[in-house]
Amino acid sequence: MAEVTLHNISKSFGGLTVLPDLNLTVPDGSFTVLVGPSGCGKSTLLRIISGLEMPSGGSVRIGGTDVTFEEPSKRGISMVFQSYALYPHMTVAQNIDFGLRLAKVPAAERKARVTEAARILALEDYLDRKPSQLSGGQRQRVAIGRSIVRQPQVFLFDEPLSNLDAALRTQMRVELAQLHQSLDATMIYVTHDQVEAMTLADQIVVMKAGRIEQVGAPMDVYDRPQTAFVAGFIGSPRMNLLPGTAIGRADVAQVGIRPEHIGVSSSVGTWAARAQVVETLGADTVVYAKVDQVGDVTVRLPGNQRLKAGETLFLTPEPQNLHLFDDAGLRMEDPS
Amino acid sequence: MTRGHLARNLLRLAFLCIVASFVLAPMLATVLGGFKTNAEIRTNALGLPAIWNTQFYGSILSDPAFWRYLGNSLVISIGSVVLTLITGAAAAYVFAQIRFFGSRMLFSYVLLGLMFPFATAILPLFIKVRDMGLLDTWWAVILPQTAFSLSLAILLFRTFFAQLPRELFEAAYIDGCGYVRFFWRFTLPLSAPILATVGTFVFVQSWNNFLLPLVVLNSREVFTWPLGMMQFRGEYVTQWNLTLAFVTLTILPAIVFFLAAQKYIVAGLTGGAVKG
Repeated sequence: MAEVTLHNISKSFGGLTVLPDLNLTVPDGSFTVLVGPSGCGKSTLLRIISGLEMPSGGSVRIGGTDVTFEEPSKRGISMVFQSYALYPHMTVAQNIDFGLRLAKVPAAERKARVTEAARILALEDYLDRKPSQLSGGQRQRVAIGRSIVRQPQVFLFDEPLSNLDAALRTQMRVELAQLHQSLDATMIYVTHDQVEAMTLADQIVVMKAGRIEQVGAPMDVYDRPQTAFVAGFIGSPRMNLLPGTAIGRADVAQVGIRPEHIGVSSSVGTWAARAQVVETLGADTVVYAKVDQVGDVTVRLPGNQRLKAGETLFLTPEPQNLHLFDDAGLRMEDPS
Repeated sequence: MTRGHLARNLLRLAFLCIVASFVLAPMLATVLGGFKTNAEIRTNALGLPAIWNTQFYGSILSDPAFWRYLGNSLVISIGSVVLTLITGAAAAYVFAQIRFFGSRMLFSYVLLGLMFPFATAILPLFIKVRDMGLLDTWWAVILPQTAFSLSLAILLFRTFFAQLPRELFEAAYIDGCGYVRFFWRFTLPLSAPILATVGTFVFVQSWNNFLLPLVVLNSREVFTWPLGMMQFRGEYVTQWNLTLAFVTLTILPAIVFFLAAQKYIVAGLTGGAVKG
């Protein structure tokens, strides 16, 4: 078990700076999710931790040891790739076994570890198959199996679920959470899917353009986004980000209000709005409405509320759930 | 609709038959020629033999020199194939996997070899081989043939290797597998189709090579079969029936090699060997 510390990490590819200067601590045993839009540098960061990329500056420490210039196989890490990267000419058992064979682990122990990994991941019946004979979910399990047998201090996941269909993704998400509980290892997980981030993480790291916007527990990030970017990125449907004038505050650049924190009435309210699109999701109804002078506002209502496009509504944002941001997009601590 | 379809198919069939006949007719004439007497070949070159004489085939098969030529050709061809595959694949692996200063220039330089005609090089080759003291050995043929096959082999290998997913190497690298081990354990086993293609090409070329062995081999002991065939050409008379029987028997191994490799090529193309 190990803590991962990144100190002043920077990375440039030629003239392009991907990570300007980054510090991050991943606590021992945590499930940390790096989340951000495409191209924000989260995958590069993971590859620097794994040793597949060398940082241009700074240091990487795993379990207190400086591993910045260490080979990936000597870092006590393992990695699961988005495309699974299974070895196509080897059977499942050989795939799982490969790293151990290279590490010259005795045959008896190798067999025991492979059996144990196969049991954890329910792969016992598939050990003799080739990867091409497996379904997507099974392949992903083999990739995970390949990383568990090495008993690493830190697991790295690079968007491991993005190639799976929606139902399988939900199932694998649950399995990953269970795996984290049973192995009690440090896990670092990269995704652009904020649902995965919210459900899996103990600690979310929101990144944008190579910088860390916010680090915190999922609900902290959700309830108290430190920047307007985090506010807009975390949460689905997105938080409404409106000009400060919408609530009569000229000193506020942007005001954020989540769709579920807006009250709806047919007669009275702060904003008069016209419903443009109504999505009935079953449990929820999401209304996309237009408010004059304010802009587009998304509202989430309980599923039993029936509305039609074109109806006039009156919206009232809950004052205790407003998020205020200044010109630089930073949170303003001003609940008054 | 169906009638037009049928007509098109017939047309296609006819065209293919014509093309095939260009290949098969000379081959058939060669095989049948081995059963004819010299007089009959002159009067009836393409038809079936009036009498099926098997003694020409028999005399060649019972001649120990024939088996020696065949053995020499086999050793030289297999040597060329193995050497080309190993050195070509290793070089192409470096070009495909590792970015280093001057790699593009070096690659272009290697490709220049594609434009270099073999016959032009024959004299300097002879001098070089003589200086190295390799005249009248198998190496005199194997080494130049390998050198001349490398350009094409590297070009084909590099394209194929570059298509192996990058993440495969990264996953193996994290498992503790370095470049060299990855080459032996992953790149080569996953490249059977291209290895078979290049191998067949090199084998057939070496098997049929006449000019180089003619120049660098003088002793009958190391003759390859195209040189051995020359024994039937006298100053005034050519024994066509023996020559044809000889050719028929000697192209058999090349055809067998091709058919064996073809199975791999087809399997590789349809099986999606690289898709994980």
